[in-house]
Amino acid sequence: MNANSADAGEVLIECKSVWKVFGDKAPQAMKAIAERGLSKTEVLREFDCVVGVSQANIQVRKGEIFCIMGLSGSGKSTLIRLLNRLIEPSGGEIRIKGQNLMQLNARDLRAMRAKHIGMVFQAVALLPHRNVLENAAFGLEVQGVPKAERQRIAASALAKVGLSEWLHKMPRELSGGMQQRVGLARAIAADPEIILMDEPFSALDPLIRRQLQDEFRQLTKELGKSAVFITHDLDEAIRIGDRIAIMKDGVIVQTGTAAEIVMNPANAYVAEFVAGISHMHLVTARSVLCPVAEYQRSAPLVDVYALSRAAPDDDLQALIAIMVDASDHALAVWDGAALLGIVTARALLKSVQEKPAYSVAET
Amino acid sequence: MDSTQAIQAFDARVESALNWLRDNAGFIFDAVRHGLEGFYNATNWLLTTPSLYVVVAIFVALGIWLVSPRFGLLAGLGLLACNVMGLWSVTMDTLALVIAATVIGLAIALPLGIWAGYHPKLDKLAEPLLDMLQTLPPYIYLLPAIALLGYGPATSLVATVLVAIAPALRLSSLGIRMTPNEYIELGHANGIAPVQMFFKIRLPFAVPSIMAGINQSLMMAFGMVVIAGIVGSGGLGQTIYEAIRTLDIAKSIDATIAIVILTMVLDRLTQSAGTKKAGAAR
Repeated sequence: MNANSADAGEVLIECKSVWKVFGDKAPQAMKAIAERGLSKTEVLREFDCVVGVSQANIQVRKGEIFCIMGLSGSGKSTLIRLLNRLIEPSGGEIRIKGQNLMQLNARDLRAMRAKHIGMVFQAVALLPHRNVLENAAFGLEVQGVPKAERQRIAASALAKVGLSEWLHKMPRELSGGMQQRVGLARAIAADPEIILMDEPFSALDPLIRRQLQDEFRQLTKELGKSAVFITHDLDEAIRIGDRIAIMKDGVIVQTGTAAEIVMNPANAYVAEFVAGISHMHLVTARSVLCPVAEYQRSAPLVDVYALSRAAPDDDLQALIAIMVDASDHALAVWDGAALLGIVTARALLKSVQEKPAYSVAET
Repeated sequence: MDSTQAIQAFDARVESALNWLRDNAGFIFDAVRHGLEGFYNATNWLLTTPSLYVVVAIFVALGIWLVSPRFGLLAGLGLLACNVMGLWSVTMDTLALVIAATVIGLAIALPLGIWAGYHPKLDKLAEPLLDMLQTLPPYIYLLPAIALLGYGPATSLVATVLVAIAPALRLSSLGIRMTPNEYIELGHANGIAPVQMFFKIRLPFAVPSIMAGINQSLMMAFGMVVIAGIVGSGGLGQTIYEAIRTLDIAKSIDATIAIVILTMVLDRLTQSAGTKKAGAAR
């Protein structure tokens, strides 16, 4: 959840105004949308077409875990399938590592999927007649890697997810959590830069789910992979994602870090979602500071250089500790030699104050 | 009466059409007949050349391997009983007929079924045809065959192949169509090529259904082969038919027992082969 680590990296996935309209008359519907700006319900009424994804813009940078969060029917599963063209987009541009996905022919698209984009499914989809090792080697087998080599690579991928002891078991002998680890091993065995995760942990029980979330995040960071992670669970998105996009009715309503979304929801829908989320773990000095100039307008007599100092990534606990020790009303946030801004006691209190929800949240 | 005349005219047309076919395309039907009889004779040769004990031993071994030791021994005893009744040679004729017809039927049905599995429209088109094949009384298939191929095993082969095609075609098409979508997606997400998709994903999931189709085709073939006794198929069917004509009930019952034994043995063997494969896939 370190927002800064991903900022500088190159962009691996870029979607520009991507649309997906389902139905026989999708092209006409797209045209009408472009010309007349029809709404989703109008498209349904006039063309009998369903808008799955409308005007999605996302950028996923190298090394970043990008979560797409939405309830069922929000278009998140459609969006992730557009990223490897399992579903053909109706409009817009999708670039993977700078290459326009729509311009690839069948052979190049297969190569792109095989080498650069791994995918993990909610249903896991382990082939029931193959053992764990053969399942993990599936992607390499498709690429025509010789048997001995692909089994060696698959075994090392399985070791990374902690399944070294299970290579020759059949999928039905494994628990749900273990099966999903095999799914993950299968995706990383081909060593793709990008991993698409389609609600991989939704069917698991809560304890195993949290364990796998942590392991997944750690493994992805260790291997330096980028991931797009679909979930309907905001806690999961916050736990795993460097950045989160929230989808509703095919539209991305807000994109940002967990702290940005929880503390500054873009609209009533997002606010309703984040209402139950505790701010405690999301508050960092960076997220609550105000510019030095603004602070000095309200407190012109304070010498900001004499204030106690905090680092930008200090969390709420650390900030409170510093503030209590120093008995100051404000802290100066320094990033190395640069003064980023001031955190006031009032800002800290405001950050942990529960915001009145726009309406009652569903749970 | 008007309608009688019309029917007579119709019959005359059919008659002359068949004559025309026989006169002008006779060489085609002769070739078909020779081909079918050649295939039947070759199958028969395979079954009758070795000593009967070798054939029985093979069935016992298959029974033990695919079903159970008990079944293997019972199958062996049953087949020996056919020999004791003096029906060994005709039993092998029937077996050869069934195997030849099923092999030809599968050679037609499996590729077509797989093709239809890939193309739902083709499947829709085939559906009424298959329905017709399966609802018409099997006797009907003997008519055109005997008209064009004459009395003998070739005619019964054609009729048997026709009834054997439907179940194998239907069930192989179903097997291909029923590949779970998540596995299709898995294949595509890994950049799979169409041929690999068939062999690595669709076929393994379709095997149980295809095996069920093969089993049913075999059973249909058994049913037909007995009926085909009246067109000179040879084998147990003909034995039963002739015994009934001469009111030799005892002999017809012997032959019936032999055919029941043979049917049960082959049914259990192919069923178990299917579930054995299916067990590996579950």
